[in-house]
Amino acid sequence: MSAGIRVAAVADIPEGEGLKIDRSLTGTDDHIALLHDTDGSIWALDDTCLHGDASLSEGWVEDGCVECPLHTSKFCLKDGKVQGLPATEDQRPHRVEVRDGEVYLFPGEAP
Amino acid sequence: MSSSTEPVTATPRGALRRPAEPARNVDVAGLVDAEGGLLDRAVFTDERIYRQEMRRIFAPSWLFLAHADQFHRPGDFFTTWMGEDPVIVTMDKGRRIRAYLNSCRHRGARVCRADFGTTRNFTCTYHGWSFNLEGDLVSVPNREGYPETFDTAQWGLVEVPHVATYHGLIFGTWNPSPVPLRASLGDMAWYMDAMLDHDAHGTVVVGGVHKWVLEGNWKLAAEQFATDWYHVNMSHASALTVLANGGKPKQEIVHRTGRQYVDPNGHGAGFPVHPRNRFDAQAVHDWTDYAALRERLGDARVEGPLTNGHATVFPNFSYLPVNGSIRIWHPKGPDRMEVWAWTIVDASMPEEVREAQRLYNLRTFGPSGVFEQDDGENWSEVQAIARGFVTNSVALNYQMGMGSEREDGRYPGKTSELYSDAAGRSFYARWRQLMNTPAWHEEDPA
Repeated sequence: MSAGIRVAAVADIPEGEGLKIDRSLTGTDDHIALLHDTDGSIWALDDTCLHGDASLSEGWVEDGCVECPLHTSKFCLKDGKVQGLPATEDQRPHRVEVRDGEVYLFPGEAP
Repeated sequence: MSSSTEPVTATPRGALRRPAEPARNVDVAGLVDAEGGLLDRAVFTDERIYRQEMRRIFAPSWLFLAHADQFHRPGDFFTTWMGEDPVIVTMDKGRRIRAYLNSCRHRGARVCRADFGTTRNFTCTYHGWSFNLEGDLVSVPNREGYPETFDTAQWGLVEVPHVATYHGLIFGTWNPSPVPLRASLGDMAWYMDAMLDHDAHGTVVVGGVHKWVLEGNWKLAAEQFATDWYHVNMSHASALTVLANGGKPKQEIVHRTGRQYVDPNGHGAGFPVHPRNRFDAQAVHDWTDYAALRERLGDARVEGPLTNGHATVFPNFSYLPVNGSIRIWHPKGPDRMEVWAWTIVDASMPEEVREAQRLYNLRTFGPSGVFEQDDGENWSEVQAIARGFVTNSVALNYQMGMGSEREDGRYPGKTSELYSDAAGRSFYARWRQLMNTPAWHEEDPA
Protein backbone atom coordinates (compact mmCIF):
# COMPACT_ATOMS: atom_id res chain seq x y z
CA MET A 1 0.00 0.00 0.00
CA SER A 2 1.43 3.34 -1.02
CA ALA A 3 0.32 6.86 -0.19
CA GLY A 4 -0.77 7.33 -3.75
CA ILE A 5 0.65 9.52 -6.49
CA ARG A 6 -0.72 13.01 -7.00
CA VAL A 7 -1.35 12.96 -10.75
CA ALA A 8 -3.73 15.82 -11.51
CA ALA A 9 -6.18 18.37 -10.21
CA VAL A 10 -9.85 17.56 -10.63
CA ALA A 11 -10.12 20.82 -12.58
CA ASP A 12 -7.69 19.40 -15.17
CA ILE A 13 -10.30 16.88 -16.33
CA PRO A 14 -13.60 18.23 -17.68
CA GLU A 15 -16.65 16.22 -16.64
CA GLY A 16 -17.43 13.59 -19.24
CA GLU A 17 -13.81 13.37 -20.36
CA GLY A 18 -10.59 11.65 -19.45
CA LEU A 19 -6.88 12.27 -18.94
CA LYS A 20 -4.08 9.84 -19.80
CA ILE A 21 -1.42 9.34 -17.11
CA ASP A 22 1.76 7.98 -18.66
CA ARG A 23 3.05 4.64 -17.46
CA SER A 24 6.45 6.24 -16.73
CA LEU A 25 4.61 7.95 -13.87
CA THR A 26 2.35 5.10 -12.81
CA GLY A 27 4.91 2.29 -13.03
CA THR A 28 2.29 -0.02 -14.53
CA ASP A 29 2.43 -2.01 -17.76
CA ASP A 30 -0.15 0.23 -19.40
CA HIS A 31 -0.93 3.91 -19.15
CA ILE A 32 -3.83 4.73 -16.84
CA ALA A 33 -6.89 6.72 -17.88
CA LEU A 34 -8.41 9.05 -15.27
CA LEU A 35 -12.09 9.33 -16.09
CA HIS A 36 -14.36 12.10 -14.79
CA ASP A 37 -17.96 10.89 -14.62
CA THR A 38 -20.93 13.18 -15.11
CA ASP A 39 -21.81 12.88 -11.39
CA GLY A 40 -18.44 14.44 -10.53
CA SER A 41 -16.68 11.25 -9.41
CA ILE A 42 -13.22 10.27 -10.70
CA TRP A 43 -12.22 6.73 -11.70
CA ALA A 44 -9.17 5.03 -13.19
CA LEU A 45 -8.81 2.16 -15.66
CA ASP A 46 -6.02 0.79 -17.79
CA ASP A 47 -5.92 3.19 -20.73
CA THR A 48 -5.49 0.95 -23.75
CA CYS A 49 -8.65 -0.79 -24.91
CA LEU A 50 -7.75 -4.46 -25.27
CA HIS A 51 -9.95 -4.73 -28.36
CA GLY A 52 -8.80 -2.07 -30.77
CA ASP A 53 -5.72 -0.33 -29.34
CA ALA A 54 -7.65 2.83 -28.46
CA SER A 55 -6.96 5.27 -25.62
CA LEU A 56 -9.91 5.25 -23.23
CA SER A 57 -8.78 8.66 -21.97
CA GLU A 58 -10.16 9.96 -25.28
CA GLY A 59 -13.46 8.19 -24.72
CA TRP A 60 -16.88 9.49 -23.73
CA VAL A 61 -17.58 9.28 -19.98
CA GLU A 62 -21.19 9.19 -18.87
CA ASP A 63 -23.46 7.52 -16.29
CA GLY A 64 -20.87 5.20 -14.75
CA CYS A 65 -19.30 4.05 -18.02
CA VAL A 66 -16.62 5.04 -20.46
CA GLU A 67 -17.33 4.45 -24.14
CA CYS A 68 -14.32 3.58 -26.29
CA PRO A 69 -13.72 6.35 -28.86
CA LEU A 70 -13.00 3.83 -31.63
CA HIS A 71 -15.55 1.04 -31.52
CA THR A 72 -18.07 2.16 -28.88
CA SER A 73 -17.65 -0.72 -26.41
CA LYS A 74 -18.50 0.49 -22.91
CA PHE A 75 -16.64 -0.32 -19.69
CA CYS A 76 -17.88 0.12 -16.10
CA LEU A 77 -15.89 2.86 -14.38
CA LYS A 78 -15.96 1.08 -11.01
CA ASP A 79 -14.66 -2.36 -11.95
CA GLY A 80 -13.62 -2.10 -15.62
CA LYS A 81 -16.04 -4.79 -16.73
CA VAL A 82 -16.91 -4.71 -20.42
CA GLN A 83 -20.59 -3.95 -21.03
CA GLY A 84 -20.90 -5.09 -24.63
CA LEU A 85 -19.32 -6.06 -27.95
CA PRO A 86 -17.11 -5.70 -29.89
CA ALA A 87 -14.65 -5.71 -26.93
CA THR A 88 -14.64 -8.92 -24.90
CA GLU A 89 -12.03 -8.31 -22.19
CA ASP A 90 -12.35 -6.20 -19.03
CA GLN A 91 -10.08 -3.22 -18.30
CA ARG A 92 -8.07 -3.34 -15.07
CA PRO A 93 -9.35 -0.80 -12.52
CA HIS A 94 -7.17 1.24 -10.14
CA ARG A 95 -8.01 3.00 -6.88
CA VAL A 96 -8.36 6.80 -6.87
CA GLU A 97 -8.75 9.28 -4.04
CA VAL A 98 -9.70 12.93 -4.32
CA ARG A 99 -8.43 15.22 -1.53
CA ASP A 100 -8.77 19.00 -1.66
CA GLY A 101 -9.39 18.99 -5.37
CA GLU A 102 -6.30 16.88 -6.08
CA VAL A 103 -6.43 13.42 -7.62
CA TYR A 104 -4.27 10.69 -6.01
CA LEU A 105 -3.76 7.46 -7.92
CA PHE A 106 -2.93 4.06 -6.38
CA PRO A 107 -1.66 2.03 -9.37
CA GLY A 108 -2.42 -1.65 -9.10
CA GLU A 109 -4.73 -1.33 -6.09
CA ALA A 110 -8.30 -2.45 -6.54
CA PRO A 111 -10.80 0.37 -5.99
CA MET B 1 -15.02 12.05 -77.49
CA SER B 2 -12.97 9.44 -75.70
CA SER B 3 -12.21 9.53 -72.04
CA SER B 4 -10.45 7.57 -69.36
CA THR B 5 -12.75 5.27 -67.48
CA GLU B 6 -10.37 4.76 -64.59
CA PRO B 7 -11.47 5.95 -61.15
CA VAL B 8 -10.43 9.41 -60.20
CA THR B 9 -8.41 8.95 -57.05
CA ALA B 10 -4.78 7.98 -56.78
CA THR B 11 -5.39 4.83 -54.75
CA PRO B 12 -4.00 1.33 -55.21
CA ARG B 13 -5.78 -0.52 -58.03
CA GLY B 14 -3.70 -3.70 -58.28
CA ALA B 15 -4.78 -5.62 -61.38
CA LEU B 16 -8.17 -3.91 -61.58
CA ARG B 17 -8.93 -2.34 -64.99
CA ARG B 18 -12.33 -1.03 -65.96
CA PRO B 19 -13.36 -1.97 -69.49
CA ALA B 20 -13.32 0.90 -71.97
CA GLU B 21 -16.60 2.57 -72.82
CA PRO B 22 -16.11 4.39 -76.12
CA ALA B 23 -18.06 7.62 -76.66
CA ARG B 24 -19.31 7.62 -73.12
CA ASN B 25 -19.87 11.36 -73.11
CA VAL B 26 -22.81 13.03 -74.79
CA ASP B 27 -22.03 16.05 -76.96
CA VAL B 28 -24.44 18.62 -75.48
CA ALA B 29 -23.61 21.42 -77.94
CA GLY B 30 -26.97 20.87 -79.61
CA LEU B 31 -28.97 20.97 -76.39
CA VAL B 32 -28.18 24.54 -75.33
CA ASP B 33 -28.60 27.50 -77.69
CA ALA B 34 -27.43 30.21 -75.31
CA GLU B 35 -27.07 32.73 -78.11
CA GLY B 36 -30.59 32.13 -79.44
CA GLY B 37 -32.11 31.63 -75.98
CA LEU B 38 -33.36 28.06 -76.42
CA LEU B 39 -32.98 24.99 -74.23
CA ASP B 40 -33.66 21.31 -74.94
CA ARG B 41 -35.60 19.64 -72.10
CA ALA B 42 -33.36 16.58 -72.33
CA VAL B 43 -30.99 18.43 -69.97
CA PHE B 44 -33.59 17.85 -67.23
CA THR B 45 -34.48 14.23 -67.93
CA ASP B 46 -31.66 12.26 -69.58
CA GLU B 47 -29.90 9.79 -67.29
CA ARG B 48 -26.69 9.76 -69.36
CA ILE B 49 -26.50 13.55 -69.24
CA TYR B 50 -27.08 13.44 -65.50
CA ARG B 51 -24.22 10.99 -65.02
CA GLN B 52 -22.00 13.19 -67.18
CA GLU B 53 -22.89 16.14 -64.91
CA MET B 54 -21.42 14.17 -62.00
CA ARG B 55 -18.15 13.81 -63.92
CA ARG B 56 -17.89 17.17 -65.63
CA ILE B 57 -19.92 19.67 -63.56
CA PHE B 58 -19.68 18.43 -59.98
CA ALA B 59 -16.23 16.76 -60.00
CA PRO B 60 -14.37 19.82 -61.34
CA SER B 61 -16.37 22.72 -59.76
CA TRP B 62 -16.06 24.42 -56.39
CA LEU B 63 -19.06 23.18 -54.40
CA PHE B 64 -20.54 24.66 -51.23
CA LEU B 65 -19.91 22.44 -48.18
CA ALA B 66 -20.88 24.24 -44.99
CA HIS B 67 -20.70 27.47 -42.99
CA ALA B 68 -17.60 28.15 -40.87
CA ASP B 69 -19.82 28.73 -37.81
CA GLN B 70 -20.59 24.99 -37.78
CA PHE B 71 -17.01 24.23 -36.63
CA HIS B 72 -15.64 25.60 -33.37
CA ARG B 73 -13.46 22.85 -31.89
CA PRO B 74 -11.52 19.86 -33.20
CA GLY B 75 -13.85 16.98 -34.01
CA ASP B 76 -16.87 19.12 -34.90
CA PHE B 77 -18.20 17.62 -38.12
CA PHE B 78 -20.98 18.00 -40.68
CA THR B 79 -21.86 15.46 -43.36
CA THR B 80 -23.03 16.58 -46.79
CA TRP B 81 -22.75 15.75 -50.49
CA MET B 82 -20.62 16.87 -53.40
CA GLY B 83 -22.84 15.92 -56.31
CA GLU B 84 -23.80 12.39 -55.27
CA ASP B 85 -20.55 11.79 -53.36
CA PRO B 86 -20.99 11.76 -49.56
CA VAL B 87 -18.42 13.86 -47.68
CA ILE B 88 -17.52 14.63 -44.08
CA VAL B 89 -16.46 18.17 -43.30
CA THR B 90 -14.57 18.47 -40.01
CA MET B 91 -12.09 20.51 -37.99
CA ASP B 92 -8.89 18.54 -37.41
CA LYS B 93 -6.69 18.67 -34.31
CA GLY B 94 -4.75 21.56 -35.86
CA ARG B 95 -8.10 23.41 -36.24
CA ARG B 96 -7.96 23.18 -40.04
CA ILE B 97 -11.20 22.56 -41.92
CA ARG B 98 -10.86 19.40 -44.00
CA ALA B 99 -13.23 17.26 -46.04
CA TYR B 100 -13.14 13.53 -46.74
CA LEU B 101 -15.07 11.11 -48.87
CA ASN B 102 -17.49 9.48 -46.42
CA SER B 103 -16.84 5.90 -47.53
CA CYS B 104 -14.79 3.25 -45.76
CA ARG B 105 -11.81 2.04 -47.77
CA HIS B 106 -12.59 -1.53 -46.70
CA ARG B 107 -16.14 -2.34 -47.88
CA GLY B 108 -17.37 1.13 -48.75
CA ALA B 109 -19.96 1.96 -46.10
CA ARG B 110 -20.13 5.46 -44.70
CA VAL B 111 -17.75 5.97 -41.76
CA CYS B 112 -19.97 8.71 -40.33
CA ARG B 113 -23.72 8.17 -40.26
CA ALA B 114 -24.70 11.27 -38.28
CA ASP B 115 -25.80 14.60 -39.79
CA PHE B 116 -23.50 16.61 -37.51
CA GLY B 117 -21.83 16.40 -34.12
CA THR B 118 -18.48 16.15 -32.37
CA THR B 119 -16.23 13.09 -32.47
CA ARG B 120 -12.72 11.81 -31.92
CA ASN B 121 -12.72 9.36 -34.81
CA PHE B 122 -14.85 8.22 -37.71
CA THR B 123 -15.56 4.53 -37.26
CA CYS B 124 -17.24 2.40 -39.89
CA THR B 125 -20.27 0.66 -38.41
CA TYR B 126 -19.75 -2.36 -40.69
CA HIS B 127 -16.44 -3.88 -39.49
CA GLY B 128 -14.98 -1.12 -37.37
CA TRP B 129 -12.17 0.42 -39.37
CA SER B 130 -11.50 3.74 -37.64
CA PHE B 131 -10.11 6.96 -39.07
CA ASN B 132 -8.89 9.97 -37.08
CA LEU B 133 -9.70 13.63 -37.75
CA GLU B 134 -6.74 13.76 -40.13
CA GLY B 135 -8.24 10.93 -42.19
CA ASP B 136 -5.60 8.36 -41.17
CA LEU B 137 -6.63 4.74 -40.67
CA VAL B 138 -5.87 4.27 -36.96
CA SER B 139 -7.56 1.03 -36.06
CA VAL B 140 -8.25 -2.21 -37.90
CA PRO B 141 -9.90 -4.96 -35.86
CA ASN B 142 -8.10 -8.32 -36.35
CA ARG B 143 -5.14 -6.40 -37.78
CA GLU B 144 -2.99 -9.53 -37.47
CA GLY B 145 -5.13 -11.25 -40.12
CA TYR B 146 -3.76 -9.03 -42.88
CA PRO B 147 -0.58 -9.77 -44.85
CA GLU B 148 2.70 -8.03 -44.12
CA THR B 149 2.23 -5.91 -47.22
CA PHE B 150 -0.87 -4.32 -45.68
CA ASP B 151 0.10 -0.74 -44.86
CA THR B 152 -2.52 1.34 -43.01
CA ALA B 153 -0.92 4.50 -44.43
CA GLN B 154 -2.26 3.45 -47.84
CA TRP B 155 -5.85 3.10 -46.61
CA GLY B 156 -6.78 6.45 -45.10
CA LEU B 157 -9.93 8.34 -46.06
CA VAL B 158 -9.87 9.91 -49.52
CA GLU B 159 -9.46 13.64 -48.92
CA VAL B 160 -11.07 16.46 -50.88
CA PRO B 161 -7.88 18.05 -52.21
CA HIS B 162 -8.94 21.69 -51.94
CA VAL B 163 -11.13 23.36 -49.32
CA ALA B 164 -11.40 27.14 -49.19
CA THR B 165 -13.55 29.69 -47.37
CA TYR B 166 -15.05 32.92 -48.62
CA HIS B 167 -16.52 35.17 -45.90
CA GLY B 168 -17.62 32.17 -43.83
CA LEU B 169 -18.81 30.01 -46.74
CA ILE B 170 -16.75 26.83 -47.05
CA PHE B 171 -16.32 25.36 -50.52
CA GLY B 172 -14.47 22.27 -51.70
CA THR B 173 -13.47 20.79 -55.03
CA TRP B 174 -12.17 17.42 -56.20
CA ASN B 175 -10.17 19.24 -58.87
CA PRO B 176 -6.48 18.72 -57.95
CA SER B 177 -5.43 21.98 -59.61
CA PRO B 178 -8.43 24.29 -59.58
CA VAL B 179 -8.72 27.95 -60.34
CA PRO B 180 -8.61 29.42 -56.81
CA LEU B 181 -12.06 29.89 -55.22
CA ARG B 182 -11.82 33.68 -55.11
CA ALA B 183 -10.82 33.82 -58.78
CA SER B 184 -13.63 31.50 -59.80
CA LEU B 185 -16.14 33.79 -58.04
CA GLY B 186 -14.81 36.78 -59.99
CA ASP B 187 -17.10 39.82 -59.85
CA MET B 188 -19.78 37.67 -58.22
CA ALA B 189 -17.92 38.24 -54.93
CA TRP B 190 -18.93 41.92 -55.01
CA TYR B 191 -22.58 40.90 -55.02
CA MET B 192 -22.05 38.19 -52.38
CA ASP B 193 -20.39 40.72 -50.08
CA ALA B 194 -23.68 42.64 -49.98
CA MET B 195 -24.97 39.73 -47.90
CA LEU B 196 -21.83 38.40 -46.21
CA ASP B 197 -19.78 41.46 -45.34
CA HIS B 198 -22.05 43.91 -43.48
CA ASP B 199 -19.39 44.43 -40.81
CA ALA B 200 -16.10 43.00 -39.59
CA HIS B 201 -17.82 40.28 -37.52
CA GLY B 202 -19.23 38.27 -40.43
CA THR B 203 -22.18 35.89 -40.27
CA VAL B 204 -23.32 33.00 -38.08
CA VAL B 205 -25.82 30.20 -38.56
CA VAL B 206 -29.16 30.33 -36.75
CA GLY B 207 -30.64 26.97 -35.82
CA GLY B 208 -30.02 23.83 -37.83
CA VAL B 209 -30.18 22.89 -41.49
CA HIS B 210 -33.60 22.39 -43.07
CA LYS B 211 -33.65 19.53 -45.58
CA TRP B 212 -36.43 18.52 -47.94
CA VAL B 213 -36.91 16.53 -51.12
CA LEU B 214 -38.36 17.94 -54.33
CA GLU B 215 -39.30 16.24 -57.56
CA GLY B 216 -37.37 18.30 -60.08
CA ASN B 217 -33.96 18.55 -61.71
CA TRP B 218 -31.43 20.50 -59.64
CA LYS B 219 -30.87 23.00 -62.47
CA LEU B 220 -34.49 24.19 -62.34
CA ALA B 221 -33.84 25.65 -58.89
CA ALA B 222 -30.29 26.82 -59.59
CA GLU B 223 -31.22 28.67 -62.79
CA GLN B 224 -34.25 30.34 -61.18
CA PHE B 225 -32.15 31.74 -58.36
CA ALA B 226 -29.63 32.98 -60.94
CA THR B 227 -32.00 34.65 -63.34
CA ASP B 228 -35.67 34.75 -62.44
CA TRP B 229 -37.44 37.73 -60.87
CA TYR B 230 -39.98 37.36 -63.70
CA HIS B 231 -42.04 34.74 -61.83
CA VAL B 232 -42.54 36.80 -58.68
CA ASN B 233 -45.82 38.61 -59.36
CA MET B 234 -47.43 35.59 -60.99
CA SER B 235 -46.21 32.65 -58.88
CA HIS B 236 -46.18 34.50 -55.59
CA ALA B 237 -49.39 36.51 -56.10
CA SER B 238 -51.14 34.91 -53.15
CA ALA B 239 -48.13 35.22 -50.86
CA LEU B 240 -47.68 38.90 -51.76
CA THR B 241 -51.37 39.48 -51.09
CA VAL B 242 -51.09 37.82 -47.69
CA LEU B 243 -48.09 39.95 -46.80
CA ALA B 244 -50.14 43.03 -47.76
CA ASN B 245 -52.70 41.94 -45.13
CA GLY B 246 -55.21 40.96 -47.78
CA GLY B 247 -55.07 44.31 -49.55
CA LYS B 248 -53.27 45.19 -52.74
CA PRO B 249 -49.48 44.90 -52.59
CA LYS B 250 -47.75 48.26 -52.79
CA GLN B 251 -47.04 49.55 -56.28
CA GLU B 252 -43.32 49.73 -55.58
CA ILE B 253 -43.34 45.99 -54.85
CA VAL B 254 -45.39 45.00 -57.90
CA HIS B 255 -43.65 47.33 -60.37
CA ARG B 256 -40.01 46.90 -59.64
CA THR B 257 -37.05 47.82 -61.74
CA GLY B 258 -33.55 46.64 -61.12
CA ARG B 259 -30.57 44.82 -62.52
CA GLN B 260 -29.43 41.26 -63.05
CA TYR B 261 -25.75 40.37 -62.83
CA VAL B 262 -24.57 38.00 -65.57
CA ASP B 263 -21.35 36.16 -64.72
CA PRO B 264 -19.24 34.50 -67.41
CA ASN B 265 -18.70 31.50 -65.07
CA GLY B 266 -22.42 30.85 -64.82
CA HIS B 267 -23.16 32.68 -61.57
CA GLY B 268 -26.06 35.13 -61.51
CA ALA B 269 -27.85 37.60 -59.23
CA GLY B 270 -30.95 39.74 -59.68
CA PHE B 271 -32.05 42.61 -57.48
CA PRO B 272 -34.53 45.48 -57.49
CA VAL B 273 -32.89 48.91 -57.35
CA HIS B 274 -34.46 51.58 -55.16
CA PRO B 275 -32.98 54.26 -52.86
CA ARG B 276 -35.05 53.00 -49.93
CA ASN B 277 -34.61 49.23 -50.34
CA ARG B 278 -34.99 47.67 -46.90
CA PHE B 279 -35.02 44.39 -45.04
CA ASP B 280 -38.53 42.97 -44.83
CA ALA B 281 -38.51 41.71 -41.24
CA GLN B 282 -39.34 44.79 -39.15
CA ALA B 283 -36.90 44.00 -36.35
CA VAL B 284 -34.08 43.51 -38.86
CA HIS B 285 -34.99 46.76 -40.62
CA ASP B 286 -35.10 48.68 -37.34
CA TRP B 287 -31.72 47.30 -36.26
CA THR B 288 -29.95 47.85 -39.57
CA ASP B 289 -27.70 50.90 -39.82
CA TYR B 290 -28.12 51.66 -43.51
CA ALA B 291 -25.79 54.69 -43.29
CA ALA B 292 -22.97 52.49 -41.97
CA LEU B 293 -23.66 49.98 -44.74
CA ARG B 294 -23.49 52.75 -47.34
CA GLU B 295 -20.13 53.70 -45.87
CA ARG B 296 -18.82 50.13 -46.01
CA LEU B 297 -20.44 48.73 -49.14
CA GLY B 298 -21.29 51.84 -51.18
CA ASP B 299 -24.65 53.21 -52.37
CA ALA B 300 -24.94 50.87 -55.36
CA ARG B 301 -24.99 47.78 -53.16
CA VAL B 302 -27.24 49.22 -50.43
CA GLU B 303 -29.77 50.33 -53.07
CA GLY B 304 -29.42 47.00 -54.93
CA PRO B 305 -28.22 43.55 -53.88
CA LEU B 306 -28.11 44.25 -50.10
CA THR B 307 -31.74 43.31 -49.49
CA ASN B 308 -34.32 41.92 -51.92
CA GLY B 309 -32.86 39.73 -54.61
CA HIS B 310 -31.76 36.27 -55.58
CA ALA B 311 -28.47 34.66 -56.55
CA THR B 312 -26.77 31.44 -57.59
CA VAL B 313 -23.10 30.54 -57.39
CA PHE B 314 -22.57 28.00 -60.17
CA PRO B 315 -23.41 25.21 -60.10
CA ASN B 316 -25.78 24.60 -57.16
CA PHE B 317 -25.40 27.11 -54.32
CA SER B 318 -28.01 29.85 -53.99
CA TYR B 319 -29.00 32.54 -51.53
CA LEU B 320 -31.56 35.22 -50.67
CA PRO B 321 -30.10 38.26 -48.89
CA VAL B 322 -33.39 39.64 -47.54
CA ASN B 323 -34.04 36.72 -45.21
CA GLY B 324 -30.58 35.22 -44.83
CA SER B 325 -31.39 31.96 -46.60
CA ILE B 326 -28.47 30.06 -48.10
CA ARG B 327 -29.15 26.74 -49.75
CA ILE B 328 -27.67 24.00 -51.86
CA TRP B 329 -29.58 21.98 -54.44
CA HIS B 330 -28.23 18.44 -54.06
CA PRO B 331 -28.76 16.38 -57.24
CA LYS B 332 -30.54 13.07 -56.61
CA GLY B 333 -31.03 11.70 -60.10
CA PRO B 334 -32.21 13.66 -63.15
CA ASP B 335 -35.67 14.24 -61.72
CA ARG B 336 -35.09 14.80 -58.01
CA MET B 337 -33.21 17.14 -55.69
CA GLU B 338 -32.68 17.59 -51.99
CA VAL B 339 -32.83 21.17 -50.77
CA TRP B 340 -30.60 21.91 -47.77
CA ALA B 341 -31.17 25.39 -46.36
CA TRP B 342 -29.40 27.36 -43.63
CA THR B 343 -30.41 30.71 -42.15
CA ILE B 344 -27.45 33.02 -41.60
CA VAL B 345 -27.45 36.38 -39.83
CA ASP B 346 -24.89 39.01 -38.95
CA ALA B 347 -22.88 37.87 -35.94
CA SER B 348 -23.36 41.35 -34.51
CA MET B 349 -27.17 41.00 -34.43
CA PRO B 350 -28.69 40.79 -30.93
CA GLU B 351 -30.69 37.70 -30.07
CA GLU B 352 -34.15 39.18 -30.68
CA VAL B 353 -33.15 40.41 -34.14
CA ARG B 354 -31.74 36.98 -35.05
CA GLU B 355 -34.98 35.39 -33.89
CA ALA B 356 -37.05 37.81 -35.97
CA GLN B 357 -35.01 36.98 -39.07
CA ARG B 358 -35.26 33.25 -38.36
CA LEU B 359 -39.04 33.44 -38.11
CA TYR B 360 -39.35 35.66 -41.17
CA ASN B 361 -37.26 33.23 -43.19
CA LEU B 362 -39.26 30.27 -41.88
CA ARG B 363 -42.57 31.87 -42.92
CA THR B 364 -41.38 32.90 -46.38
CA PHE B 365 -38.64 30.52 -47.51
CA GLY B 366 -38.63 27.71 -44.94
CA PRO B 367 -39.68 24.23 -46.13
CA SER B 368 -43.33 25.26 -45.79
CA GLY B 369 -42.76 28.97 -46.41
CA VAL B 370 -45.39 30.76 -48.45
CA PHE B 371 -42.91 31.63 -51.22
CA GLU B 372 -40.88 28.42 -51.10
CA GLN B 373 -44.02 26.35 -51.63
CA ASP B 374 -44.80 28.25 -54.83
CA ASP B 375 -41.31 27.71 -56.22
CA GLY B 376 -41.18 24.01 -55.43
CA GLU B 377 -44.57 23.51 -57.06
CA ASN B 378 -43.32 25.14 -60.28
CA TRP B 379 -40.16 23.05 -60.49
CA SER B 380 -42.02 19.82 -59.83
CA GLU B 381 -44.64 20.81 -62.43
CA VAL B 382 -42.01 21.38 -65.10
CA GLN B 383 -40.31 18.10 -64.25
CA ALA B 384 -43.47 16.01 -63.99
CA ILE B 385 -44.38 16.37 -67.66
CA ALA B 386 -40.92 16.61 -69.18
CA ARG B 387 -40.66 12.86 -69.78
CA GLY B 388 -43.44 12.93 -72.37
CA PHE B 389 -41.90 12.07 -75.73
CA VAL B 390 -43.38 15.02 -77.60
CA THR B 391 -43.17 17.32 -74.59
CA ASN B 392 -39.49 16.55 -74.18
CA SER B 393 -38.77 17.50 -77.80
CA VAL B 394 -40.34 20.97 -77.51
CA ALA B 395 -37.69 23.60 -76.78
CA LEU B 396 -37.96 26.07 -73.89
CA ASN B 397 -37.66 29.85 -74.25
CA TYR B 398 -34.89 31.86 -72.53
CA GLN B 399 -35.02 34.92 -74.80
CA MET B 400 -36.01 37.72 -72.43
CA GLY B 401 -33.47 40.53 -72.35
CA MET B 402 -31.56 39.28 -75.40
CA GLY B 403 -28.72 41.71 -76.11
CA SER B 404 -29.42 43.76 -72.98
CA GLU B 405 -26.24 42.78 -71.14
CA ARG B 406 -23.90 45.74 -70.70
CA GLU B 407 -21.27 47.25 -68.43
CA ASP B 408 -22.81 50.38 -66.96
CA GLY B 409 -20.05 51.49 -64.60
CA ARG B 410 -22.28 51.25 -61.52
CA TYR B 411 -22.16 47.47 -61.13
CA PRO B 412 -19.12 45.22 -61.65
CA GLY B 413 -19.18 43.01 -64.73
CA LYS B 414 -22.13 42.86 -67.07
CA THR B 415 -25.71 43.40 -65.95
CA SER B 416 -29.04 43.03 -67.68
CA GLU B 417 -32.56 44.11 -66.67
CA LEU B 418 -34.21 42.78 -63.49
CA TYR B 419 -36.67 40.92 -65.72
CA SER B 420 -34.34 38.97 -67.98
CA ASP B 421 -33.13 35.47 -68.84
CA ALA B 422 -29.57 36.72 -69.36
CA ALA B 423 -28.03 35.02 -66.33
CA GLY B 424 -29.95 31.85 -67.24
CA ARG B 425 -28.45 31.85 -70.72
CA SER B 426 -25.02 32.36 -69.14
CA PHE B 427 -25.69 29.57 -66.61
CA TYR B 428 -26.46 27.10 -69.42
CA ALA B 429 -23.57 28.37 -71.57
CA ARG B 430 -21.22 27.56 -68.71
CA TRP B 431 -22.93 24.20 -68.22
CA ARG B 432 -22.53 23.42 -71.94
CA GLN B 433 -18.86 24.40 -71.86
CA LEU B 434 -18.05 22.18 -68.87
CA MET B 435 -20.14 19.28 -70.18
CA ASN B 436 -18.20 19.30 -73.45
CA THR B 437 -14.75 19.66 -71.86
CA PRO B 438 -12.81 16.68 -70.48
CA ALA B 439 -12.45 17.18 -66.75
CA TRP B 440 -9.28 16.82 -64.68
CA HIS B 441 -9.85 13.08 -64.20
CA GLU B 442 -10.08 12.35 -67.92
CA GLU B 443 -7.36 11.92 -70.48
CA ASP B 444 -7.09 14.86 -72.80
CA PRO B 445 -8.06 13.45 -76.22
CA ALA B 446 -5.57 15.84 -77.80
